[in-house]
Amino acid sequence: MSKSRPQLAAVITEHRKYSHAQHIVDRFLYGYGWHGAHHHPEMDLVALYVDQHPKGDLSGERARDFPSMKVYPTIAEALTRGGSKLAVDGVVVVGEHGHYPKNEKGQTEYPRWRFFQEVVKVYKDSGRSVPMFNDKHLSWNWDWAKAMYDTSRQMGFAYQAGSSLPVTWRIPSVEMPLGSRIREALSIAYGGVDSYDFHALETIQCMVERRHGAETGVKWLQAYRGDKFWDALKEGVWSRRLMNAALCRSHTLTPARPGFNDIFPTDDDMRRIVKNPVAYHYEHLDGLKCTMLLMNGLVRDFNFAAEMEGSNKIFSTQMYLPMPDGRTTLASFFSPLVNNMEKMFLTGKAVYPIERTLLTTGLTAAGVESLYRNQTRFETPHLAVKYQPTTESTFERA
Amino acid sequence: MLNSNLTRRNFLKTGAAVTAALPLGAAHQALAAGAPKRVAIITTIFRLQSHGQHIGDRFIVGYPWAGEWHKPNTQVVAMYVDQHPDGDLSAERAKQFGFKVYPTIAETLRCGGSKLAVDAVLIIGEHGNYPRNEKGQIQYPRYEFFEQVAKVFEDDGRVVPVYNDKALSYSFEKASKMVATAHRMKFPMLGGSSLPVTWRLPDLELPLGCTIEDALMVGVGASDPMDFHALEALQCMVERRGRGETGVKSVQLVEGDAVWKAGQEGRWSKELLDAAFSRSDTPMGPGDTESRPEDLVADGWLPKLVANPAAYFIEYRDGTKVTMMMLNGALKDFNIAVRVKGMRGIQSTQFLLTPDPNVTYSACLAHGIEQMFETGVAPYPIERTLLVSGMLEACLTSKAQNHQELATPHLSVSYRPPAQSVYCKV
Repeated sequence: MSKSRPQLAAVITEHRKYSHAQHIVDRFLYGYGWHGAHHHPEMDLVALYVDQHPKGDLSGERARDFPSMKVYPTIAEALTRGGSKLAVDGVVVVGEHGHYPKNEKGQTEYPRWRFFQEVVKVYKDSGRSVPMFNDKHLSWNWDWAKAMYDTSRQMGFAYQAGSSLPVTWRIPSVEMPLGSRIREALSIAYGGVDSYDFHALETIQCMVERRHGAETGVKWLQAYRGDKFWDALKEGVWSRRLMNAALCRSHTLTPARPGFNDIFPTDDDMRRIVKNPVAYHYEHLDGLKCTMLLMNGLVRDFNFAAEMEGSNKIFSTQMYLPMPDGRTTLASFFSPLVNNMEKMFLTGKAVYPIERTLLTTGLTAAGVESLYRNQTRFETPHLAVKYQPTTESTFERA
Repeated sequence: MLNSNLTRRNFLKTGAAVTAALPLGAAHQALAAGAPKRVAIITTIFRLQSHGQHIGDRFIVGYPWAGEWHKPNTQVVAMYVDQHPDGDLSAERAKQFGFKVYPTIAETLRCGGSKLAVDAVLIIGEHGNYPRNEKGQIQYPRYEFFEQVAKVFEDDGRVVPVYNDKALSYSFEKASKMVATAHRMKFPMLGGSSLPVTWRLPDLELPLGCTIEDALMVGVGASDPMDFHALEALQCMVERRGRGETGVKSVQLVEGDAVWKAGQEGRWSKELLDAAFSRSDTPMGPGDTESRPEDLVADGWLPKLVANPAAYFIEYRDGTKVTMMMLNGALKDFNIAVRVKGMRGIQSTQFLLTPDPNVTYSACLAHGIEQMFETGVAPYPIERTLLVSGMLEACLTSKAQNHQELATPHLSVSYRPPAQSVYCKV
């Protein structure tokens, strides 16, 4: 084993079939199909901290099959590999899945903040910090997320986060041209609040951040649910054309009428099919309005549409997330996510800005907050998050 | 030997031929912008998720295309349904959309009148209960449907575009007659399935005129209906080589241990198989049990996972050799890997078959069919479908004849692929 290969620690909530950590950790251990070969990352996952060991836990088995990787009882021990100083070159934090309390707002209190603090404590105690990846949003709690971001900036380590949505395949394979003037944007997805809403917000954000003037942050957010959703649809709170375009990108549109396999739903059909729809409608500081729709029952994929200035044609695509729910076995969208982590660990530089994740973290929490406050408009002065997108596209297309 | 240049000329002439044969008023009506094309659907069965239903409905209720719900400028005016099993939806559909289901193909094409009364025909002879022959092929009556359609064209002195779903026929002899008839009577004809036109992950098209050193397609099936899909996907890539397709010299289908043995002997490339697998979203074995992304090819999983592997060795008349592998139990999707002279590394991609029930890939196919209905020109040559129909039959003959290598002088099918890519990128 060459010394030049980065040595990694993973700090995870649980490792069982289909948990995020399983998808991520296993890619470092077994490699994965990538660009015409089975790719083995040029780095070694040598230390693992696992917070919970539910039924079906596979971490022990993995440690047995990969003697080069050791499971440690604490985060500090994992990072120091049982010694007294930081002994890895990169850290992967996956705080998704596992049994954690739900608060009164419906947020699952995944311990990403705790994990982060313990990792950073080792960095501080060792007088050295290394690149860190955080799966999905930074924290369910905005203040903590902001502290995580600030800490990473103060300490100056490469910090990359988020989910597969911005980096997975797109069908069709299109990128928002840098500097585009976007009139309005929207995503249609499925899943729950404080869960897949994050993915659907990232779907929008990785596209609209490329607009003219780059990202400026978000002013306010208003959530709609149930009847208020249908009222908002009728009132035209978001663009009907965008909604139709995004639905036409879906490959999983529930047939609205018996006897048909693929038919466009009417409003009445949608109302019948979608029992508890959710919308987050929000305005950026530069005036751009975006809407994220969760339409459970109607679709099982992530679709994006935007109206562009000076064009009659809607820009739309699907972010391809083929779940292992019978559609696939591997949840292959984790491959581009892991591949981008590898790039950061090899170069010491984040591939895409952490500010994107900071903003989508805040938007997710703001959505939860607006719902909690009886679907009232929630002002978000704290979300004045400014950043520049990457010039190069970072989604998978090769 | 069939020649694509002839075909192209014929296609170009078709519009004129149609116009000349039509009574003047009707011609004006049919060709006027905005007049919907009257479509007849000739199908074996019309049941939910049958090809007849999901392709036919694209022309009735429209389909998603490029981010819009696209309604083709067509009106389905007549339908013939050969079998009416439980779940038959044809009567219901006819009632709802105001067309008639007729008892014969001739009546369907004439809409109950005395002359051909449609502008386009969809022949969808897939699904339904039909006998299997000794080679295991389901004897779908596509040839018989086609002959009846052509007879109406002949009798009524007018031709319209015809789409034939999937293989032309289980028999190359019948398939050849179909193509010969289309050429003789000068009507545009399109065939085949969705594989060549669906999205590819990643977008990959081989450069026109390239030299193919080796190609390997991996999929699932090892049965008459599925093998056609995989062979067609392979063919739509390799037909872009050299100066165009010139046909197949020989085929051999081997099964069981002989497949692994052939790999050890270097008859198919492990590297290409690995590349093809790298594109799969559905590796089985550890992928299925634990979602573990192992290297199934290098780590020796395949013999454990695939009880009855099959390899189809195809040698073209220009010397190009390719392999198709059907590895049921090892994956569930369709992927290709190709080594192209002068290009770095291995070119590979997945032909994306999107999930049930929407099967949006058939929207990509419907779009190609619609183009032909609109323009009178098939977007890709029927000779591809003819050749693939013949390749499949020959492979199944090899299987039935003790897996022998068979010379295929009858498969001297020549054509040129479309210069423009025709798969879905929008």
